[in-house]
Amino acid sequence: MELMIQVLVSGLLIGGVYALISVGLNLIFGVVRIINFAHGEVLMLAMYATFWLNKVYGMDPYLSALLVLPALFFFGVLLQRVVVQPIQEASANMQIFATVALSLILQNIALIFWKGDFRTIQTSYAMSTLEVMNIFVSVPRLVAFLVALASILLLYNFLKHTFVGKALRAIVEDNTVARLMGIRVERLYLLAFGLGAAFTALGGILLIPFSAVYPTVGVPFTLIAFIVVVLGGLGSMSGTFLGGLFIGVVETFGGTYVSPALKEAIYFGIFILVLLVRPQGLFGKGKGTEEIGLK
Amino acid sequence: MKRQSWTLWLFLIGLLALTASGPVAAKDLQIGALYPRSGSLALLGEESWRGAEIARLEINKKGGIGGDSVVFVNADGHDVAAAHSEAERLIEQSKLGLILGSYASSRSMAATEVAARKNAVYFELGAIANSVTERGYQTVYRTCATAFNFSKSQSKFIAEWLAPQLKKKPSEVKVSIAHEDSDYGTSVADSFKNAAKEFGIQVVSVEPYAANTSDLSPVIFRLRKTAPDVIIAVSYAQDAILLSRQAAEFKLGIPLFGTGGGHSLKSFQEALGDKVEGVLNVDFTQYEVNSAFTPGLKEFVALYKATFKEDPKSGHSLANYMGTKVLFDILAQTKGSVEPNAFRKAALSMNLPEGTTSTGWGVKFGENGQNLRADPLIMQWRGGKLVTVWPKAAALMDAVLPK
Amino acid sequence: MSAKRLQLLGITLLAAAIVIPAFVDSRFILQMLTLIFFSIAMTSAWNIPVFGGKMSLGHAAFFGIGGYTGAILYVKFGVSPWIGLPAGVAVSLLGGVIMTLPLLRLRGPFFTLATIAFAEVLRMIAIDWRSLTNGSVGLNIPFKPGWANLTFQSGAPFYFISLILAIAVVFIAYRLRHSALGFHLRASASNDEAAQALGVDTRRAHFIGLLWSSGLTGLIGVFYVFFIYVVEPNTMFSTTLFSLQPALNGIIGGIGTIWGPVIGAVIMTPLGEYLRVYLGTIQQGLNFVVYGVVLIVTVNFIPGGIVSLVRLKSSNRSNGSGSPSGATEAH
Repeated sequence: MELMIQVLVSGLLIGGVYALISVGLNLIFGVVRIINFAHGEVLMLAMYATFWLNKVYGMDPYLSALLVLPALFFFGVLLQRVVVQPIQEASANMQIFATVALSLILQNIALIFWKGDFRTIQTSYAMSTLEVMNIFVSVPRLVAFLVALASILLLYNFLKHTFVGKALRAIVEDNTVARLMGIRVERLYLLAFGLGAAFTALGGILLIPFSAVYPTVGVPFTLIAFIVVVLGGLGSMSGTFLGGLFIGVVETFGGTYVSPALKEAIYFGIFILVLLVRPQGLFGKGKGTEEIGLK
Repeated sequence: MKRQSWTLWLFLIGLLALTASGPVAAKDLQIGALYPRSGSLALLGEESWRGAEIARLEINKKGGIGGDSVVFVNADGHDVAAAHSEAERLIEQSKLGLILGSYASSRSMAATEVAARKNAVYFELGAIANSVTERGYQTVYRTCATAFNFSKSQSKFIAEWLAPQLKKKPSEVKVSIAHEDSDYGTSVADSFKNAAKEFGIQVVSVEPYAANTSDLSPVIFRLRKTAPDVIIAVSYAQDAILLSRQAAEFKLGIPLFGTGGGHSLKSFQEALGDKVEGVLNVDFTQYEVNSAFTPGLKEFVALYKATFKEDPKSGHSLANYMGTKVLFDILAQTKGSVEPNAFRKAALSMNLPEGTTSTGWGVKFGENGQNLRADPLIMQWRGGKLVTVWPKAAALMDAVLPK
Repeated sequence: MSAKRLQLLGITLLAAAIVIPAFVDSRFILQMLTLIFFSIAMTSAWNIPVFGGKMSLGHAAFFGIGGYTGAILYVKFGVSPWIGLPAGVAVSLLGGVIMTLPLLRLRGPFFTLATIAFAEVLRMIAIDWRSLTNGSVGLNIPFKPGWANLTFQSGAPFYFISLILAIAVVFIAYRLRHSALGFHLRASASNDEAAQALGVDTRRAHFIGLLWSSGLTGLIGVFYVFFIYVVEPNTMFSTTLFSLQPALNGIIGGIGTIWGPVIGAVIMTPLGEYLRVYLGTIQQGLNFVVYGVVLIVTVNFIPGGIVSLVRLKSSNRSNGSGSPSGATEAH
């Protein structure tokens, strides 16, 4: 029983980070309607930025968010403008390949500049833990979880209550109608991509106190984020949050009770299953997913 | 119409020309150098290549082999398919009869197959999978230790040193293996199971995991349940760090015994700080070792610093340096000839006792081309350094029981 | 270019291909051509479902299933590769059915994503099911030269095997494209609802197209295993090598056409090798950057691929649109 609770807690904690990264993808996927296979590379760049700020200037990773988040926001805007916008009207297949190429380029630029080394930073709190009734909670992982939760809540309220947020949601719901209603869709695409990149970057910043950075660190996260978005449903922030937690918990339970080697296979299996049984996602509204599937 | 078919022809001819562009100038002694130098294994692949490169620079400074200077034709075997076609290219296009390499076992398996089938000599300096020298090929040689040698050193150390420390018989010591699930981790874990049997040590659980994971808590939970006396960990760089960090977070409190790979790296120590203290490890010879046992090591480190403007990242460069020098000794005997029979005769006649090379290894090739005198050493992280602790001849200090 | 001239060109090229081994003594060039032929076959097989707009990024699954079947039968049970070949096809077809039936409900990007997941699951199973696959350590094809063992000392046999394989797959793709199935697929690609309204069972068409594709890919996988001798999960189920690469070749040559995949494979295979040899060792990773840039440029400026520039009229004389993405018109 104690072990079960411990497994659950650990799963929820890592699930929070998955959720945050997936929220970034969901924004981009939902609003801009592009399958961004370079999503994990945004995470990778943020992790490198945080790493170098710490290494060179001794900046605390959490503090470096002040610099890294705006930087990656603009990087996202730039990607949308330079890479994605020209292929906005191309087929989904073409878009997939443009972003696959982008991911290849970014990974190997990282390799050229920073080599294949696995880089980690050392902080005073890297291995500090809280212990509550024999349940151990890693402090940086707890921080990651709480910050993820808070920022997803923030985004949720932004989308719900501000004018820009409503416009973004309108685009997710129906792109054409939104355009007809006078929403300047192209501009909001830039915003969505930038925001999506910033949220993903935040995920990277939260990961770095306990995770190494290397050129291909983003690859598994790209797939996880897609799985979470499909589970949670397109355009649904709460769905994405729950989907992220779900993947984290399933992975940890599978790893502990089946085999650590198969934890990825388990959630890939679940992914295929969900796609088949409920392609609109476990928590999704359905409409958006159907539509992008049609393209 | 006509023009189009001409352009197509021109195009095809151009492609052929591209793929067949000529070899480097003659008169040099050319050797293929095949390492993974991009992709996920780039870090230690590059480090391995550096060791061979230093040996090459050194011999050329001394006038080369029989007056010919040594030139490497470098090749990147970043995955198995690439290793295969690069070996083909080196042998068929560059007309080389001798390749050295290759750090990663799966790449080595593919490349040695190609070389052996074409009767070219393959000189393996760093890959440890047992099977590299177990296929009965007459032209494949290996100077470094095998996975089985690693496991044997570990088992012997557990039986002879750890068991008495725990006040147990070797047969009462319980061992768990946590290994990453690529060919490296899997083959080392298998070897350990076999070696443990020889020493009567019980392996109570085996936990494979994928090296690119960002959470190893499932492994920790499973280890906590089995509660072994010592954990044999077979890890690459990032997962070695993660495993130790999470072991500390969950206060696992079981001694960790690394198996080369990530546990030897400076980045492992940097990431863990004082938590690294006491972690045991078995590996190729590293730099904190009794210098009487490893003549030439200090000179190597100095050369490395002079050439690459930094400290060696791991012992991989040293092992490749030592192996390349052995290769040059053989070539000096054959006067630069790589004709397989002459090479084999010279190689099998090599006979150096242990403690006479920069790694401390001796040189005596078995019929299968494996160097029989390349035993890995046991070391322990002490005061931020990976200090050799066993066997006695190589040790700088005695091992202590990790907390 | 008229059909007749095209035929002439084809026959000349073929004749050249057949006599090359007699004149070229460099085995490396033979090896390169062999890789190109394998790549043509892979890309053309991958391209069959693309007639209907179904783009898979998980074809390594079929490649790996086929290759592993052949290798396991031969290495573990001593079964001749000549039985391993049909067995590999059969097991790949089975994999094709298992993947295709449920996944056909998915469209566009979701189909693509699910195929990636499918191949990844198989890779992990190959790593974990050690009693069958020998795990990550993999299997080695022993060196016993002879046609009976599909193992050779010289490079010529595999040169011809891969040449025949490439011609066969391109021919099959050509026949399929111009059959009723091909028309149904292309109709579905340009407008699935309309095709269904006209009474075309588009799901059946996609299913059959994917089965052809998976079976042929499995066959190539078995041959490839005997060509490269080493079978291990991260190679056989490699996303980059056998899922992405055929798709990249296809895009650059022109997807959904017959000659696009051929041209893509002919250009990209030597380019990839060349970049790796001459850039990879100068600066790690630079080769992939160049690769990525070529791809982005292609997608942005010639979305129809190279065939759309060459304008081989006869390759799509009989169809006006037929391109799955709406972007690959090659008039």
